[in-house]
Amino acid sequence: MKPTRPRILPMKTLLAASLALAVGSAAAQTATEADLGRRLDELAAELAKVKDQLAQLRQAQPPVAPVAAPAPAPAAAPTATAPAAPPPSYSGSLLGPGTVLTSYGEINYNRPTRASQNTQIDMRRFVLGYQHRFDERTKVVTELEVEHAVSSADDPGEVEVEQAYIERQITPVWAARAGLFLMPVGLLNENHEPTAFYGVERNFVETAIIPSTWREGGFQLVGAFDNGVTVQGGVSTSFDLNKWDATSSEGRESPLGSIHQELAQAKGHDLAVFGAVNWRGVPGLLVGGSLFTGQATQAQAVDKARITLWDVHARWTPGRWDVAALYTRGTISNTAALNAALIGNPTLIPKSFDGYYVQAAYKVWSHEDYALSPFVRWEQFNTAKSYADLGPGLTPEAARAERVVTVGANLQVSQGIVLKADYQRFRENADLNRFNLGLGWSF
Amino acid sequence: MRVVLAAASTLALAAAPTSAFAVDYLSAEQAAKLMFPDADAFEPRTVTLDAAQLQQLEAQGVRGRSANWSVRIARQGGAALGYVVTDEVIGKVELISYAVGVALDGSIKQIEILAYRESHGFEVRLPAWRRQFVGKNAGSALRVGEDIANISGATLSCTHVTEGVRRIVAVVGLARRVGALPS
Repeated sequence: MKPTRPRILPMKTLLAASLALAVGSAAAQTATEADLGRRLDELAAELAKVKDQLAQLRQAQPPVAPVAAPAPAPAAAPTATAPAAPPPSYSGSLLGPGTVLTSYGEINYNRPTRASQNTQIDMRRFVLGYQHRFDERTKVVTELEVEHAVSSADDPGEVEVEQAYIERQITPVWAARAGLFLMPVGLLNENHEPTAFYGVERNFVETAIIPSTWREGGFQLVGAFDNGVTVQGGVSTSFDLNKWDATSSEGRESPLGSIHQELAQAKGHDLAVFGAVNWRGVPGLLVGGSLFTGQATQAQAVDKARITLWDVHARWTPGRWDVAALYTRGTISNTAALNAALIGNPTLIPKSFDGYYVQAAYKVWSHEDYALSPFVRWEQFNTAKSYADLGPGLTPEAARAERVVTVGANLQVSQGIVLKADYQRFRENADLNRFNLGLGWSF
Repeated sequence: MRVVLAAASTLALAAAPTSAFAVDYLSAEQAAKLMFPDADAFEPRTVTLDAAQLQQLEAQGVRGRSANWSVRIARQGGAALGYVVTDEVIGKVELISYAVGVALDGSIKQIEILAYRESHGFEVRLPAWRRQFVGKNAGSALRVGEDIANISGATLSCTHVTEGVRRIVAVVGLARRVGALPS
């Protein structure tokens, strides 16, 4: 039995009318101090009476959470046995029956310790999304992102559709998704809100090697089993190696990030297949892995090349501890043939790239919604671990792996707001050492 | 301080779900029978908390959220066996329907997820996660990251269900203390 909205309005009207009448009456007379005192006493008595009536009304009728009344109808939910207590307020905002507005954002401050003139404050991301449920089994999920605050020809910002997919529950175990969705890879890609990860910036391994936030267009099945195993797999768009810019450093910063298509007039000749398995059968433990593989020259080049990326990951959250580890490796086939036309440029296509990190956090203090969690993360990544042989003097040397230690803390202010501070020390390029502050939110 | 018992006849009886797709796992009635298989009757009763009692819950670190709570008293031959409370919380953006079985001594007997609608985080349904609550009572922390382990990728669902369970255990405990529920 769903509660009905209590009829508070008449009581508010009664209260207002009582006050108006009393005040009006007082104003109509010549007020001496004694009169005013008496009037105040009368008003106080009337107010107490109205309060009593209001309390009685509240006891007689179940209250309704202010924004929950038009909650998406869980048609098949046990509505007849729902508690007399009203449904809770949404953390997002209800836009109408079955439609919820969501958002997250992060503002970051980065101060390089050896080059403070490069200090930046950036509206890193501002994301608005909605989820609309067409029926009990079908919904659409979307996110629209603005990076760096302003997007124009003269500004660094970008506007991107981060997710836009339809999900349909087919059986109690299997659901299907179609559209633009986040790839089920690693620990961060599908859970990338600033309240969900430690540190001001996302870790390097899941940025440079796994190009978070990585999304593709396609179709996937999601199976959720009672033994704690979740299986995801499907067919999606792939990367486009024709976008590789050998004159730019982008490919060195993130090989796959420089050639992703993001469903922006994406070339669709070469598709990819992907799969992920995660197991959460023991409380607090997650163990999983993923695989993505697909051709990526899109019939635009004579030579074909396959891109493969896989990862294994684990996260363990016993009590106040939160420990995580991840390893990922990517390969691009036939790069010797592709690089032959790029010789002489600074950034050739690597044959392999990889990275790993281990991270530990501990909640040292909490009070109500506040929670302070210091953390430390060690990561090592190499965006050009090896190159295919191009012959003596022509084959680029493999890059040296960068190693980064990040030490800091997340302070949860409420369940949707986090303040962050950390220090990052780079072993190979110490000029990048920096101090970071961040503000993030999500609902 | 006062607890008002509303007439049980005002409550609608449980109805089975109209569909059986993934979001719906159990009806409230099915969950109640699962929790108290020996019960031969479930007496519906509404517990209404007054402002002072809601404040008392707040002082315990429990957000009361509502004054009115529907409780099913599991009975066998007239004797009370325990209580079942159904509730709904938000996971991330969707409602999670769940039921909490509480023994006569105020300890948690069982948790059941009745319906889950989010795209991620369904693992709150897993028996191993729900078993963490068994035996805990109003004196337990009942907090994710304390005595309840989190599920990676389902943090909000875990947190909000745990908060809901803590609230229900506190409400039942309060109602037992003031005689609104049999103990």
